[in-house]
Amino acid sequence: MFRIPLLAALALAIAFGGGIASAVWALKATVGFGAISIGPWVAFPEAQTDKADPYAKAHRARAGELLYGGAEGLMFMAQVDDKGDKLSAACSYDVTGLTPQARFWTLYAANADGVPLRPGSDLPWAINSWTVLRAEDSSFSIHVSPNAKPDNWVALRHSGTFRLILTLLDTPTAGSSGLIDLAMPKVVKTGCGDA
Amino acid sequence: MRSVLFASILGLVGAALLHIVIVLVLPQFTGRDAYTRVLGLLEMDSFFSLTSTPGPTGLSNVDPYLRTAVCSFSIADGPARFLASGSVPFWSLAVFDSSSNEVFSMNDHTAVNGRLDLVVATPIQLVELRKAPPEALAQSIMVEMKEEDGYAVLRAMAPLDSFEDQVRNFLAESSCEPFRR
Repeated sequence: MFRIPLLAALALAIAFGGGIASAVWALKATVGFGAISIGPWVAFPEAQTDKADPYAKAHRARAGELLYGGAEGLMFMAQVDDKGDKLSAACSYDVTGLTPQARFWTLYAANADGVPLRPGSDLPWAINSWTVLRAEDSSFSIHVSPNAKPDNWVALRHSGTFRLILTLLDTPTAGSSGLIDLAMPKVVKTGCGDA
Repeated sequence: MRSVLFASILGLVGAALLHIVIVLVLPQFTGRDAYTRVLGLLEMDSFFSLTSTPGPTGLSNVDPYLRTAVCSFSIADGPARFLASGSVPFWSLAVFDSSSNEVFSMNDHTAVNGRLDLVVATPIQLVELRKAPPEALAQSIMVEMKEEDGYAVLRAMAPLDSFEDQVRNFLAESSCEPFRR
């Protein structure tokens, strides 16, 4: 007697449960299509434009961030190191190499929601192209570590995973489609714990 | 058994449809998109400097070396004009419409003499401005915007702490006003 209502309830439960859960999951998992990735670094050069796909538009409406315009800059994000392992705040990493051409760049660590980690005003927690110490060939090596390091040190005081955010300001990178040839700095794990 | 399978398949089709509807409709209903947050600052027609900790609307200076000011504006009654000048190592401006699509962006290298002087107008207002260009706008960059409401984001760079004052003055003295002849 209750077969038809039960079946209707089942269909509705799957439709609403599955539809809402999958939409929320999709918007949390990714910023949308149209990503460019260079090694571990990922950027979305069209996320702020009208050309962004519906997922990107829904994501940016939920996040409510002030995105960078094309002439302003491009934000790269790394959640993994060069080997594909998630960045852990208990480990030390070296960010080495050169950035693509840009007038300025800034590098800082952020939590999973993109909020900068501020370990305290007494620690260096971010670095930019003016303050970084470079080698003779103008390449740099930045130590992202919970332990104090010489030269370029970005301090971590956090537990769990984190992400690195490298913002290139006034860069031709943002407007070009030939991004695949660009070289981004490497992110290499140098050790974990107090070692 | 068969009818259970049928109901499940129907449910999955419904789930797929609902997924698409949610993703497409969500931008209109989140209530925390960037435009709503900028409007929540209740500062129409002037640049509002953000702090490094999230304010009541959740907006903040995310990048440690960039100081940000935002301004919501409407060009329904007339064009909006953005002005800023001063010596900072880098500044950039982006104009977005009310659905957060980029309308225009520029930085100090793409500006005339490194000064910000931008007029945002609807296509009809722009035709009138071009017909009889006002003296004051001789140096201005004119940008067409199809929607009437939007917000602008002005960023200035302080790569070292000693630039803090300069950057604060730059943002404080910038203006975002309706343009009147």
